[in-house]
Amino acid sequence: MSAASTVRGRVVKVTGGGLFRWLAFGVFWGYLVVRWLYQWVGADLLGMDPRAPLLPVETFRTLATTWDGTRIGGLFSFLRVAGDALPAAVTGTWLTIILTVVAMAAGLVIAVPLAVTRVYGGPVTRWAALGYTELIRGTPLLAQLFVLYYGLSLSATLRELPFVGEGFIPAQAALVAMIGFIINSSAYQAEYIRSALQSVEVGQLTAGRAVGLSKLQTIRRIVLPQGLRYGIPGWSNELVYLIKYSSLAAFITVPELYKRTRDIASGNFRYFELLVVAGVIYLGLVLSASALMGRVEQRVAIPGLGE
Amino acid sequence: MTLLEFADVHQSYGEEEVLDGISFGVDRGAVEVIIGPSGSGKSTLLRCVNRLTDIDSGDIRLDGTSIYARDENELRQQVGMVFQDFNLFAHLTALENVTLGLRRVRGFSKEEAVADAHDHLERVGLLEQAESYPAELSGGQKQRVGIARALAMDPEIMLFDEPTSALDPELVGEVVSVMRDLAEEGMTMLVVTHEMGFARSTASRLTFLDDGRLVEQGPPEQLFERPEHERTGTFLRRLTELHGGIDR
Ligand SMILES: Nc1ncnc2c1ncn2[C@@H]1O[C@H](COP(=O)(O)OP(=O)(O)OP(=O)(O)O)[C@@H](O)[C@H]1O
Ligand SMILES: [Mg+2]
Repeated sequence: MSAASTVRGRVVKVTGGGLFRWLAFGVFWGYLVVRWLYQWVGADLLGMDPRAPLLPVETFRTLATTWDGTRIGGLFSFLRVAGDALPAAVTGTWLTIILTVVAMAAGLVIAVPLAVTRVYGGPVTRWAALGYTELIRGTPLLAQLFVLYYGLSLSATLRELPFVGEGFIPAQAALVAMIGFIINSSAYQAEYIRSALQSVEVGQLTAGRAVGLSKLQTIRRIVLPQGLRYGIPGWSNELVYLIKYSSLAAFITVPELYKRTRDIASGNFRYFELLVVAGVIYLGLVLSASALMGRVEQRVAIPGLGE
Repeated sequence: MTLLEFADVHQSYGEEEVLDGISFGVDRGAVEVIIGPSGSGKSTLLRCVNRLTDIDSGDIRLDGTSIYARDENELRQQVGMVFQDFNLFAHLTALENVTLGLRRVRGFSKEEAVADAHDHLERVGLLEQAESYPAELSGGQKQRVGIARALAMDPEIMLFDEPTSALDPELVGEVVSVMRDLAEEGMTMLVVTHEMGFARSTASRLTFLDDGRLVEQGPPEQLFERPEHERTGTFLRRLTELHGGIDR
């Protein structure tokens, strides 16, 4: 079957570079998950400090002193600083992931009707949708976060809500950031989806209408299933951007990955080490995200569509 | 008895008059073959029947009532359409291409839709390919799915817009044969085609369109052997040279 072989051919391509890659992903996510579990429940059960590093930081320190002034000593000194910083960085990573995932998901929910309106709406609704996307895409994300955080009293309003900042619900600054990212991402995703919808052949719509489907049914049953598939590469891009742009939340005091590492660095002045820690984690997230999106793309692939 | 009637139909795009007062009727069970040079308005004429294009003036009546007095989607269910480049739903299997309309337009349950779609695919000889996606089908198979998809809506009339023009010559036969079966079963058909074999053997009548006007109309033998108009004769002779008069 030609279908199976095309799909399988692509599996090979995506998993190419194989073992090392999966090993790296395994270590990366393994460490993150163990760390989270330890902080949330493990430390409590074991009666330990949830902020205690799981890596042998003290050993690193001793080795660093032993080989002080040599390259090996430098390496262990780096490992010690990194090991010390990791608990906080990993906590921040959780927030980074939450911000990104929620912004992507909620952004998509807003982006789909927005894109459909841009392509198939009436003159007024189309203009409104265009206005929204252009306004959001035309202004800096950081400015949008500032407007939400300082300009509107959003943060004060959120603080009044009973559940904010408790348990798994992020504190108000993070919620403001989340709202900002949702708004911002919805505009960018709408733009990706709009162009994907427009690349659906006109004949597909004509055929839908000719069968007797209403305009809305045609959009829902024919244009969206095809357009959203065409949109996946753009969507993966947006996910990668969002992972990195989520660091802007640091500027409105959200303790995500970048803020955590930056704060530690301003305490111990080990800027290089902490940038490496943040950089490696961002890289791990970005590479995981593209691998995941590659998977999704294969999963929903249909022979002959968008190849 | 007249099923479909064009009454002084006018249609223009900007300055250009594409249909310039077309009037004729198609009897129930008839196979009306429309021929004419490129740009003469053949596709436009078909698209007017299911209101993919709205006409400027005149009227089109189906079964005695104006198509403009009916619900648009209901009209389209009653008028099946087959396209030159198939226009199969690219993300759906052959089966799903047929069930989509059954479920969403005719309101069948999933089981009913699948059973009915199987019948229609069998009718066009494609039961085996039910689970294939359009990209996995040959042109002839695609077009037969296109026909099954239209038939599944239980239409009163079928419109074919050059159904074999995009096919490799060796695949034309399988599509023509399905169309011929349909004609024999009494389906009313309005067919734009340059497939002269089909026209000679199956058409009840041939209609020659040129420049948005109906030039000549009559039984195929008459137009082939004794056309009234010079233009008709020239056009048909050229077509026969190009596409052959071989009965497939
Ligand atoms: N949507 C449209 N907008 C503007 N002009 C159009 C449109 N559709 C068709 N036309 C014009 O109308 C005229 C008739 O087109 P039509 O497609 O009906 O011709 P046709 O007889 O089917 O030709 P062909 O044999 O090439 O398919 C052509 O000149 C074409 O350029
Ligand atoms: Mg045409």
